[in-house]
Amino acid sequence: MSATSSSSFDLLASGGRGKSSRTLLRVVILLFIAGAAIASRLFSVIRFESIIHEFDPWFNFRATKYLVSHGFYNFWDWFDDRTWHPLGRVTGGTLYPGLMVTSGVIYHALRALTIPVDIRNICVLLAPACSGLTAFATYLLTNEMTTNASAGLLAAAFMGIAPGYISRSVAGSYDNEAISIFLLVLTFYLWIKALKLGSMLWGALCALSYGYMVASWGGYAFITCLLPLHAFVLVCMGRYSTRLYVSYTSWYVLGTLASMQIPFVGFLPVKTSEHMPALGIFGFLQLLAFLDYVRSALPSGRQFQIFLWSIAGSVFLIGLLGLVVITSAGIIAPWGGRFYSLWDTAYAKIHIPIIASVSEHQPTAWPAFFFDLNMLIWLFPAGVYLCFQELADEHVFIVVYAVLGTYFAGVMVRLMLTLTPIVCVAAAMAVSQMLNNYLSLKSPKPEDHAVVEGADVTATKKKGGLKSTNKPVVGIYSLLSKGVVVTSMTIYLLLFVLHCTWVTSNAYSSPSVVLASRMPDGSQHIIDDYREAYQWLRQNTKDDAKIMSWWDYGYQIGGMADRPTLVDNNTWNNTHIATVGKAMSSREEVSYPIMRQHEVDYVLIVFGGLLGYSGDDINKFLWMVRIAEGIWPDEIRERDYFTPRGEYRVDAEASQTMKDSLMYKMSYYNYNALFPPGQAQDRVRGAKLPEVGPTLNTLEEAFTSENWIIRIYKVKDLDNFDRDHASAAAFDRGHKKKRGGKKRGPRVLRVE
Amino acid sequence: MRWLQGLLSVSLLSVGAFGAKKSTEERFKEYHTKALSSAPVKLNDATYKDLTGVPRDYTGVVLLTALESRFGCELCRQFQPEWELLSRSWTKGDKKGESRVVYGTLDFSDGRDTFVALGLQTAPVLLLFQPTVGPHASPSAEPLRYDFTNGPQSAEQVHDWIVRHTPDRPHPAIKRPFNWMKWIIGFTILSGLVSLIYVAWPYVLPVLQNRNVWAAVSLISILLFTSGHMFNHIRKVPYIAGDGKGGISYFAGGFQNQYGMETQIVAAMYGVLSFAAISLAVKVPRIADAKSQQMMVILWSAVLFLMYSFLLSVFRIKNSGYPFSLPPFM
Repeated sequence: MSATSSSSFDLLASGGRGKSSRTLLRVVILLFIAGAAIASRLFSVIRFESIIHEFDPWFNFRATKYLVSHGFYNFWDWFDDRTWHPLGRVTGGTLYPGLMVTSGVIYHALRALTIPVDIRNICVLLAPACSGLTAFATYLLTNEMTTNASAGLLAAAFMGIAPGYISRSVAGSYDNEAISIFLLVLTFYLWIKALKLGSMLWGALCALSYGYMVASWGGYAFITCLLPLHAFVLVCMGRYSTRLYVSYTSWYVLGTLASMQIPFVGFLPVKTSEHMPALGIFGFLQLLAFLDYVRSALPSGRQFQIFLWSIAGSVFLIGLLGLVVITSAGIIAPWGGRFYSLWDTAYAKIHIPIIASVSEHQPTAWPAFFFDLNMLIWLFPAGVYLCFQELADEHVFIVVYAVLGTYFAGVMVRLMLTLTPIVCVAAAMAVSQMLNNYLSLKSPKPEDHAVVEGADVTATKKKGGLKSTNKPVVGIYSLLSKGVVVTSMTIYLLLFVLHCTWVTSNAYSSPSVVLASRMPDGSQHIIDDYREAYQWLRQNTKDDAKIMSWWDYGYQIGGMADRPTLVDNNTWNNTHIATVGKAMSSREEVSYPIMRQHEVDYVLIVFGGLLGYSGDDINKFLWMVRIAEGIWPDEIRERDYFTPRGEYRVDAEASQTMKDSLMYKMSYYNYNALFPPGQAQDRVRGAKLPEVGPTLNTLEEAFTSENWIIRIYKVKDLDNFDRDHASAAAFDRGHKKKRGGKKRGPRVLRVE
Repeated sequence: MRWLQGLLSVSLLSVGAFGAKKSTEERFKEYHTKALSSAPVKLNDATYKDLTGVPRDYTGVVLLTALESRFGCELCRQFQPEWELLSRSWTKGDKKGESRVVYGTLDFSDGRDTFVALGLQTAPVLLLFQPTVGPHASPSAEPLRYDFTNGPQSAEQVHDWIVRHTPDRPHPAIKRPFNWMKWIIGFTILSGLVSLIYVAWPYVLPVLQNRNVWAAVSLISILLFTSGHMFNHIRKVPYIAGDGKGGISYFAGGFQNQYGMETQIVAAMYGVLSFAAISLAVKVPRIADAKSQQMMVILWSAVLFLMYSFLLSVFRIKNSGYPFSLPPFM
């Protein structure tokens, strides 16, 4: 696709000279880019089937189904009693409804056009469809940055296939990010447009787009911080203008009102600290506008101006101080945990283990950047440098976005997503600048430059520019130079396309509900344990059987098995999660009362020891321990789960607390029956297990999937004879043993 | 469990020696008044036995420490100011002794016998003796031991621990003394900076308004962040590591690992690549001389190609399944 767009240069240069044919060409290229963006996201549908991926999308899917079947107002008031048993969740008021409403609208529109379509297919294909729109929005945004029309097309192509964005928008990844990145780029485009024109209309459109963004993703805070920062930097550069005033105020007022319509957001925009910079800059701009007016009304003197500026500065400082005081006095809520952990990188690790436990919140190592952006990562600084040439208001935006975006992406892997658009824009600017220079058929004549040389003595004195751009552009003389650069750039661009295809196909297209492996003969083998187990739950348990599992699987159980769960991926109640963590990490005698109190019928765990599946519960176990320790530091201690030498082991050397924990017992219960005596092995942790497996008294094995990935246990009812479970189980075992002994031989009379 | 046995005998002894003389109420008053003048109470072998003797209707919190430098107990010295702050603010906040908690410190130099009797090999050790009689009596006379495994502890953490074990009583909060010195130093430095800026403003302003400076600053920070600097900062990765054969391993194996030096190499590579791209895009078309322009194009193209090839080969070290490469680093 980048090949398409680069060949478009030739066409543009030779054939498409007319304005209309250029427009047609552009439309065709953009359509091709959108097609490529959508097509490259369909790997998983082609390889597996049209299925929802991962964890969170299952909840979104379930909510969408509810919206479609019960209507919008019921969805708004939805109280879900099938999650967070026994608390339930006010789902309508605690989610971002943008995604579900979008799919609902599409569904009803298609139905109105009498196109019969399953809501699942809409959900699966929403993200790829939006990626086509994102490519278009990127085209618009880039066109605002440069006069070079080809840059926009290149940026759209980059955005369409960059793995950093594909990672969150493959078919089936029905998550908030699917539509939010489109809205993010669109909001930025409208902001730049509004700022350039100083137009209230564009500002209002920007606010609308922002409101939609707030309705769909918590990442809207990125916009809420970036736009005020941009405005602030502009003011600091002495670029205050009525354009800035009009666009910022119309965005802020309308956008804040729009965002407050979402029940989940409510009054947060005037109460929490992450929204305060936007409010502060809003006030600051009012002040500047007032001073600007006064200055224009009065005969101005230099001292007067200084006086005014110092007033503006001091008011700003006082406002900042006031903000600090109000925050510390507790009137404004302090920074949200997730957000705060971006600034103080050690914060989450100490205070909120539940945030630190999510792999999306880990910092980013450099290979991840290269993996997700390939050559764009080194073209990106070049593009940012180009912005310094002109440094108009919109270029300042790129610089601010680039620095802030790279910082965020470095702190949190997940925020690679917000960085990708600007990388694509900046890299496209660099590439198009390069291609423009080297692809032009006109070569300058060597004798012209003498005149040019004479002229540039005056040009070098130009103030405020970059050192490297003091001289005027001459052009490229030789065909060889053009050939070398164009050929190598073509190679890099082709390599980029190959890289993106490879990454998408290998890393980002597995639904994770269904695992794929290769058989020795090269054919594909599908491991479908998750769906097998959820189907078992759906068909063999009561409709209201409560399933206890770690929170990762809550949404999937709700979505696929349709059974109530104790905790799920909406981690709003840390104590409840810690309760499950405690039940999993304690002895049976402690866990059983907890499970009875929460009316648990079944316990579901994920065990990868047989298959070598490393994302299982034993590997997540320490997080359960840590989260439980946060609430019950006296009963659960992380250290007890390590051997005296500080190792985390599961074999015979494992600590007693580890061996007694419910999670350990459930994972390895009956496991050694699969192997010859004494050879039971855990393939994930490469450990040889003790010869005698653990015994379970209060639970009984209900179901184990084909590859042992999912194991489900039924919680035993109270004993009929009022014995405790341990003695009842011991009695049962002893009974069997006795019977076995009977058969062995006749009784022998005891002689003394 | 040797120290428990020892402790039991110690407490039995103390019953014999002092129990007859003083009632538990008298002992609490005595130590509480001592604590009021200087908390925590400095103990020796005898007073330790007295304080922790049964029956007691108060909670005794005793830190067994070794402050003298010859023992080289770094943790003891780090924890001491926090401990003093905790005991002082608790005792000051509870002058009437309603919480019935006494804080004591037993240094190794004063209480060698106790350390031996308890069989202690390490210091510091923080013991909490629950009351054995009275309204807050705990069923077990064994003291609770605080866990120092996670390095030096702050007063707040220990405070939380004590609060957990002294329910239904007032818990005076920790009052950190107002750090005048810090504020004075901060104010001095700030005013110094302000006057410096005021004086140097005419010279600083051109630098601040210089586009090249800002371009350099933003490019450097972008390169830092994209080469994984924040990962180093958060995970505290080693700067460099050996390869087990006496050599240096520049690149950590695995996709999720990196060394400090590795990120600097990567940042340098990105920097060279970006600079080559900038040169080709911006600088070369401005060269007026045809010959030198040709030279520069070939030079920068070669640098770009070689560096990119090397970058791909480095990436293949990190991700062994990566199929793409460019010559010469295949």
